[in-house]
Amino acid sequence: MAEMVRKSSVDEIVNHWVLAGSCILLALSGFAFLFHLDGVAGVFGGYNVMKDVHNWLGVIFALSLLYSMRHYLKDAFEYDADDLQWFKVAGGYLSHKVKVPPMGKYNPGQKLYYLAIVAAGIAITASGLGMWLMKDDATVLMYSHLIHNLAFVIFAIAVPVHIYLGTLANPGTFKLMVSGTLPLEEAKRRYPKWMKAAGRM
Amino acid sequence: MANESNSRKAILVTPEICIGCRACQVACKSWNQLPASKTKNNGTYQNPPDLESNTFNIIRFAEVPSKETPVRWLFVSRRCMHCEDAGCVKICPSGALYKTAEGAVAYDRDKCIGCKLCSTGCPFDVPRYDKEGKVSKCHLCFDRIAANMTPSCVKTCPTGALKYGDRAELIAEAKKTGYTTIYGENDLKGLGSVYAFKEEPKLYGLKENPALPSSVAFWHSYLKPLSWIGLGGVVAAAAIHYLAIGPHKEEKEEV
Ligand code: HEM
Ligand code: HEM
Ligand code: SF4
Ligand code: SF4
Ligand code: SF4
Repeated sequence: MAEMVRKSSVDEIVNHWVLAGSCILLALSGFAFLFHLDGVAGVFGGYNVMKDVHNWLGVIFALSLLYSMRHYLKDAFEYDADDLQWFKVAGGYLSHKVKVPPMGKYNPGQKLYYLAIVAAGIAITASGLGMWLMKDDATVLMYSHLIHNLAFVIFAIAVPVHIYLGTLANPGTFKLMVSGTLPLEEAKRRYPKWMKAAGRM
Repeated sequence: MANESNSRKAILVTPEICIGCRACQVACKSWNQLPASKTKNNGTYQNPPDLESNTFNIIRFAEVPSKETPVRWLFVSRRCMHCEDAGCVKICPSGALYKTAEGAVAYDRDKCIGCKLCSTGCPFDVPRYDKEGKVSKCHLCFDRIAANMTPSCVKTCPTGALKYGDRAELIAEAKKTGYTTIYGENDLKGLGSVYAFKEEPKLYGLKENPALPSSVAFWHSYLKPLSWIGLGGVVAAAAIHYLAIGPHKEEKEEV
């Protein structure tokens, strides 16, 4: 048995799936509202039920996003020269020949993704609450509707990129959100600076 | 009776010949079984003061300066305009608001989720909400006109200030009769409540150059499509990336 390293804690994994599940259902119901997808609305039990489900899922999503900050926020604000170099080689995603600089626990793409989700998440939550609870104020309703949709565009682009990178594009990564562990040898190869900092390398 | 089923219908309002009897208000309440609401006398015959969830049309009473008479009274019917380019229909997230074959903007009350977004979409401040928070407004008697009947308010109008029929015919007739200004002929791609005037519509308190609220127009033309274009674009790009470049490979020498 290869020695294993834990990258994601259990509470991080559980929280990630609460966040991901609520986010996907919110986006699905959101698309159903935007494009009147009667079939999708039917699965939720009609538009009236879907509205309540959407609103309360939003609350779950917001709490989960808040909780995720203890896992990712600190890392997401720290960048170094290797991170800059990572962007110059596009993370090695556009060619397998370039040399990708050594990475810490998260690459800058992941860190920026997290910040984008936090920013868009705050915007979509605030505007969602505005449309839900302050709909009698015409100005609040109008701006909330605009902001909700603006933030949704960010989600509609960033989340599928994230899912692709977390599954097909990086075989093995998905395991990090299931078991949370990976073999020490692999961890040394993928996250050398993190392993060094943790004294395992 | 006009019954070209494919052509757009409309209500033509001719305020000049309206006598302010408000039979239309009563007829609407009667057909739609809407209760009256208690109001206070606030110095005008306009009552209730504006559209309500149980009042789909009102006669607006306006006093304007005049040279000939001490005071000039104008009566103008206010109701849903049944816009061709209807902001309320565009923004409604449940599809509760919809257009009928005749061009009426009707709604399915059961489908309405009470989000009030239609009030943001309407250039004329028409949608109102009942006690359960559901949308409520003039629906051009879509139930009657689908059965080739005249809208209740039109049917009751004693002077012909309200007429219902083929939209193009109504407008052509009004112009032939000497009404030089047709309010709503082309605004919002053409209103379904059109008004015939010899004077400025502004005098009667009608909104000048009505248009979709710019936030709603921007949302509808850009933001809304961008969400699925974004999603579709990412899925396509991911597929191309997977096939053309391929997933990340662990290489031994990459230590
Ligand atoms: C169902 C598809 C999804 C899969 C397979 C997936 C997979 C993953 C994986 C493997 C990680 C860990 C990366 C690492 O530790 O290196 C991760 C992190 C994360 N995921 Fe997901 N995820 C999915 C959906 C979502 C959704 C819908 C959201 C919505 C907001 C989301 C938000 C995050 C965030 C914020 C992180 C933090 C770390 C980072 O920035 O990568 N995930 N995900
Ligand atoms: C606290 C969080 C949230 C709340 C309170 C909320 C609330 C709302 C409300 C009130 C609406 C208007 C329709 C309705 O009344 O249901 C709405 C629509 C929508 N929501 Fe959310 N939402 C939240 C989070 C999200 C998230 C995370 C997403 C996507 C990732 C999303 C996507 C959408 C979309 C696409 C629409 C349709 C917009 C439209 O019709 O213009 N929402 N949301
Ligand atoms: S006047 Fe307002 S409520 Fe009536 S169709 Fe136009 S946008 Fe909709
Ligand atoms: S309040 Fe009802 S009719 Fe108006 S936009 Fe919302 S769902 Fe549609
Ligand atoms: S058309 Fe029908 S619903 Fe509209 S104001 Fe007249 S009677 Fe009322």
